[in-house]
Amino acid sequence: MGCAELNWNTLDQKDPFPCISVEVMNSSDVIERWRALGLHCPEPCAVMALIDTGASTTVISKTFANYCKLFQTGEGSVFTTLAGLAVCGEHAGAISFPGTSLRPINSLRIVSADFKWERYYSCLIGRDVFTELAHDLRRAAKADIN
Amino acid sequence: MAASLFSDELKVFQENRDKWLRVNPGKFVVIQDSVVAEGFFDTYSEALKAGLQAFGVQRNFLVKQVWTTEPVYYLS
Repeated sequence: MGCAELNWNTLDQKDPFPCISVEVMNSSDVIERWRALGLHCPEPCAVMALIDTGASTTVISKTFANYCKLFQTGEGSVFTTLAGLAVCGEHAGAISFPGTSLRPINSLRIVSADFKWERYYSCLIGRDVFTELAHDLRRAAKADIN
Repeated sequence: MAASLFSDELKVFQENRDKWLRVNPGKFVVIQDSVVAEGFFDTYSEALKAGLQAFGVQRNFLVKQVWTTEPVYYLS
């Protein structure tokens, strides 16, 4: 089970946190097949991500999804935000948390959307990631009980 | 206007949705062009693996969950 420590000043409205550095890339299955075909695969790139308990799924900016060449597996998903409805693409990606002991997630549906105003982050970590990491917690608890 | 990346696949999905919904609600299917990969999958991850096995990575394929209506996701 992993751990990440995040500090932020809740009284400072300019403090954009809670953010965490993440690396987003294609899942290892996709990368292996690309390499077998001799196709170029971009190196993982670290970006800041907002820990967003209000997001049901993980979202990255479309620009970043294109940069990472994330393998697309869908389109047209509808999201509702404070600004209204947004239509997004869906990608198969992997996500890791450099500088923490959190387990990387190798295969995750990630949606891409236009990030118009955000200056500090290009990814929202949604509840799907928390659910995935919570499985580790449950497994560890079960192992302790047994 | 440019054609949708998955227009053929979404058409196949729409045509089969009711039939699939009766037997496999909530499961994932994988479609490329008009070809549906064999099987229904419990998770996105399993469906992705099956899609890569069936179609490879040279062209995109659709991974879609079988629901009556399209879910709307929420962002804060």
